[in-house]
Amino acid sequence: MIVESDGYKIDFKDAINAIKFDETDKNKTNYHGVTALKAVDIIAEFEDKYVFVEIKKYDNPDEFDESFDIIESDTGTCHKFFSWLKNYLKYKFRDSFLYRYAENKVDRPIHYICLLNFDNALNVKLSNSLRRELPLNKPSNRWVNILSKSCNVINLKKWNELFTNWPATEI
Amino acid sequence: MLTKIKFESFTAFEKLEINFSSGINIFIGKNGTGKTHILKSLYSACDISKSKKGFAEKINDVFYPTNKQIGRLTKRSKTSNSGFVEVKRLSNGQEMSIRLSITNHTLTPDNVKVTGSTKQWLENPFESVFIPVKDMMANSPGFRSLYSTRNIHFEEVYADIIDRAFLPALKGPTDKDRIKLLEILQKSMDGKIVSKKEEFFLKNKQGELEFTLLAEGHRKLGLLWLLIQNGTLLSGSALFWDEPEANLNPSLMKSIVKILVELQRMGVQIFISTHDYVLLKEFDLAVNDKDEIIYHSLYRDEKTNNIVCSDSISFQDIFPNSIDDTFGSLIDRQVYKDMGGKDR
Repeated sequence: MIVESDGYKIDFKDAINAIKFDETDKNKTNYHGVTALKAVDIIAEFEDKYVFVEIKKYDNPDEFDESFDIIESDTGTCHKFFSWLKNYLKYKFRDSFLYRYAENKVDRPIHYICLLNFDNALNVKLSNSLRRELPLNKPSNRWVNILSKSCNVINLKKWNELFTNWPATEI
Repeated sequence: MLTKIKFESFTAFEKLEINFSSGINIFIGKNGTGKTHILKSLYSACDISKSKKGFAEKINDVFYPTNKQIGRLTKRSKTSNSGFVEVKRLSNGQEMSIRLSITNHTLTPDNVKVTGSTKQWLENPFESVFIPVKDMMANSPGFRSLYSTRNIHFEEVYADIIDRAFLPALKGPTDKDRIKLLEILQKSMDGKIVSKKEEFFLKNKQGELEFTLLAEGHRKLGLLWLLIQNGTLLSGSALFWDEPEANLNPSLMKSIVKILVELQRMGVQIFISTHDYVLLKEFDLAVNDKDEIIYHSLYRDEKTNNIVCSDSISFQDIFPNSIDDTFGSLIDRQVYKDMGGKDR
């Protein structure tokens, strides 16, 4: 089942279904249609799980290194790129979860995978921060369910090494 | 300026040739791929231009093989029992080289063949510094006299670095470039360095703090401060630094890298070995198109198991990248733990 999104083509060979979740074309059956909610790019459905995929491709990934969280440029401009990106990925997941809850499709464990063009080291850092804030585990004893079973940020090379059943290519 | 090193059956190398950047050279690679050996060989060749010591004697003192038997620096192999290291440099438009050839039977430096443009090499002296992994600044009192009078088991780089640190300041006012660098360091370590009776102190508003009480990371900044302040690191000199990241908090890497990039812009040729992602990434973020930098990735060829080197001028193109591969392995195991095996 092939899905194209944000410059990538992914073939979820063993999926029951895989859709471009943030579809903006009103004529398509999977049109998202709720502008108030953000949406991950792809959702793939399997017998035992759902996989949320968010794709973010940057021309200059270095701009998002956390060690340069606040850029000391000559003009004195400050940007918090890392926080911005982390929040962007976090809210994409949470809103998508709400949407799927309303669809009654949170009955299986959800795995969240962000496909970014950073190197492995930066992706490890981002994964750790994102896991804490998503949140991944039960943050309180009052919680009975978890939102997501896993959350990993990886690049294209790593995706293809890990998910041989779901080959991804740049279009 | 050093331009090339060539090894054949020498220490860890079967056959290896590396061309250098006139600015920054960064060596990465797993343990046992010869990063420190390259730095030590280059440093030995540089040092003799000024100290006028024999190349063989210097190499022997810097590597310190068992019983100081220089022949032990030949690569252990069944087929060959001789080897060499050759260093090439460019000085005042002149190309020159120096080669040290040994066999595994060579016992002392006196029996070693040193060839090439040795006369020219010594007639064109230049300054060089080797900063070893282990800090020596806190142990400096008495060490120099002990080293010169007794046969103690220390590679010579440890005595050399103390000597360089103790050099008196240059005559005349400190130039603007160096003042800028000294200020960056003073801010990072909150003070400046003074020496009294072979002992170093960090001096600030609170008083003077001896190096033995100073964090190891700050001792490194202090050493760099001394080398810049006393003019050892000037245009035309060469700096060799083995794993600058040792005992340094990652937050200080930015200052260190800023200094090193500025030194390169002032004309210092820099050679660094590292295992650290943050240090490597800081370089990637700090350099611009005008800076000269080459990343040298050392690894073992899968077929021959010999050490080979792959060069790249951009951080993104480093291949293989043993540091990033380690992070990649963390991701592999995390995903395996989260989502199960291959049939995920």
